[in-house]
Amino acid sequence: MSKRLYDLIARVMNVPHSSINDESGPTSIENWTSFKGYVLLSELEMEFNVKFTLEEAMDVKKVADIKRHLNNHGVTLND
Amino acid sequence: MTDQKKLSHYLNRVAEIAGQAFEKKIRIALLGSFTLNGLAETLSVMCAEKNIQCTTYVADYNQYNQEILNTESNLYKFFPDVSFLLIDSRTILGDLFYYPYSISKKERKQFVDKKIDEIQKLIHIFDKKINSKLVINNFNIPTFSPYGIVETKTDFGQHQMITELNRRLANLFLNSNSIFIYDFNNFVSKYGEKNIFDDKQFLFGDMKISLDYIPYFANDLLSYIIGYLGISKKCIVLDLDNTLWGGIVGEDGFSGIKLGPEPPGNAYVEFQRVLLSLYQKGIILAINSKNNYEDAIKVIKEHPYMILREDHLASLRINWTDKISNMKEIANELNIGLDSIVFLDDDPVNREYMKINLPQVLTVDLPKDSSQYAEVIKSMNEFSVLNITQEDRQRGKMYTEQRKRKELEKSTPDLERFLKQLDLKISIKNANEFTIPRISQLTLKTNQFNLTTKRYQETDIKKFSQDQNYVVGCAQVEDKFGDNGITSAFIVRKENPKEWFIDTFLLSCRIMGREVEKGILGYILNKAKENGVERIKAQFIPSHKNKPIEDFLPKCGFQKEGDFWIYSMKSSFVIPECLTVCVE
Repeated sequence: MSKRLYDLIARVMNVPHSSINDESGPTSIENWTSFKGYVLLSELEMEFNVKFTLEEAMDVKKVADIKRHLNNHGVTLND
Repeated sequence: MTDQKKLSHYLNRVAEIAGQAFEKKIRIALLGSFTLNGLAETLSVMCAEKNIQCTTYVADYNQYNQEILNTESNLYKFFPDVSFLLIDSRTILGDLFYYPYSISKKERKQFVDKKIDEIQKLIHIFDKKINSKLVINNFNIPTFSPYGIVETKTDFGQHQMITELNRRLANLFLNSNSIFIYDFNNFVSKYGEKNIFDDKQFLFGDMKISLDYIPYFANDLLSYIIGYLGISKKCIVLDLDNTLWGGIVGEDGFSGIKLGPEPPGNAYVEFQRVLLSLYQKGIILAINSKNNYEDAIKVIKEHPYMILREDHLASLRINWTDKISNMKEIANELNIGLDSIVFLDDDPVNREYMKINLPQVLTVDLPKDSSQYAEVIKSMNEFSVLNITQEDRQRGKMYTEQRKRKELEKSTPDLERFLKQLDLKISIKNANEFTIPRISQLTLKTNQFNLTTKRYQETDIKKFSQDQNYVVGCAQVEDKFGDNGITSAFIVRKENPKEWFIDTFLLSCRIMGREVEKGILGYILNKAKENGVERIKAQFIPSHKNKPIEDFLPKCGFQKEGDFWIYSMKSSFVIPECLTVCVE
């Protein structure tokens, strides 16, 4: 499942899959602008059929945060 | 068409299209009362997919008033072809968005007056300052009302107030050729308020249109670009079996096909109704079907539930010839480019074959479910035009008449005799408020019999027509089968008292091959002579489509002089006998 998540992040950020890890975020990925961050959240919601809360959306600083919040919504990501 | 790609697709693709060359160009300005992030990128990529290079200017957030009022603004320096002024309901209504009942009914009415006045003044300034089309949205009516179920019992309540605002806005620009109202309220109805507005995105990032729906929104705005550039599709070519009716007539028989008031036959009736509505706005319909002609034509002529009849169909290719040859013949017969054609066929193999062999044709993927056929057509923006002229409404009928003319032509092998039998009458008309939209439309759409292929918007034609140094006119062509409408246009510039220059000379493909062009040229030459002109200068600018007019000037006695063609008034020009030319 992590692959599915990484694929989506790589696609939205337009970066190679290999450059994504749990620590990836706006500081490490140049394309990860605040606007791309909104787009990512919106496409994550579509892909995993979840709705993040406003607090969760605001809390996302890196991939690990996304994993944690997806997990809270019952999405299991196996490494 | 119904399914859009995600926003990230467009955001990422925009870098790939940068620097690529495209056939058409457009400059788009986006002015918004809210964040328009992603819209310019999406529009640019959608344009690129239609071979249009789109250059965009996005005004700063909520700076639309300043941009329009400041005559030195970057907006005006950008010289947009089309500008979109996008204002959301929260901005226009201010506090009344939340508290509509904090003021009286009278004050709500005054509020509408004030807002309409503000918009009108703002747009007036824009319209006077720049030669750009302006598209302004109307306002969505929120489903929530603090009055709840009593909202509909409230005199000039919030919903009525916004309805009135929208009605007045539409009326303000009903007859304008440069200002258009984008029905944003309709957009919200189509996709649903809960989808278009996402409170989390609004509160988190001030996004007033949900990011998921930016591509749908851009697709709607693209309609104006298609209309502006005059690249809308002209013709729908249809398969028959399992497309216009269910089943295969050759196997299931006349009474065995599915077409009628009961499901699943009603899906095909519904589909045909939508096609007929497009026919009535000027889209040409034609058939390209592998079938026994007798079987199929019997259904078209006699089936009680057929909506589309023979008279609606400009060309019928019902045979066992391959669909590619048929398609080429249809384009040839109707005198339209393959890139003006949309092809609808239920069979994915036929579609693939068409896509590979004739990529210029827009082959639409019909869904497996026939109940969705009508929706596919309804969601297409490829038929968008900025105005619908009388000629458009009559087009279908004219093409049927054309089919009958061709039948006469076939039975009269001598061209001269055929033309005489047609009783051709050409009425020359000046550019005026009734003919200007059509003249502009002809310059935008005519490719084949067009000397210079110069594209002019209505404002350009209007400007020429008011200039003493120009002669701008058009011609209506009638014959014994009917009225072809205004099918020719010309723009002549008076270079000096002795020399006139033909800037534009064109003829719709509908009336090519009937010597009409000589009648119109004869009129121009006679008028020049009456004015003491000694030389007419003309130019042929080759395009990849205007070969049919290549020999026109030398055939009419023009002599080559450098890049130009010159007609000396000393020569005498004879208008063919088969034509009657009158001036209105």
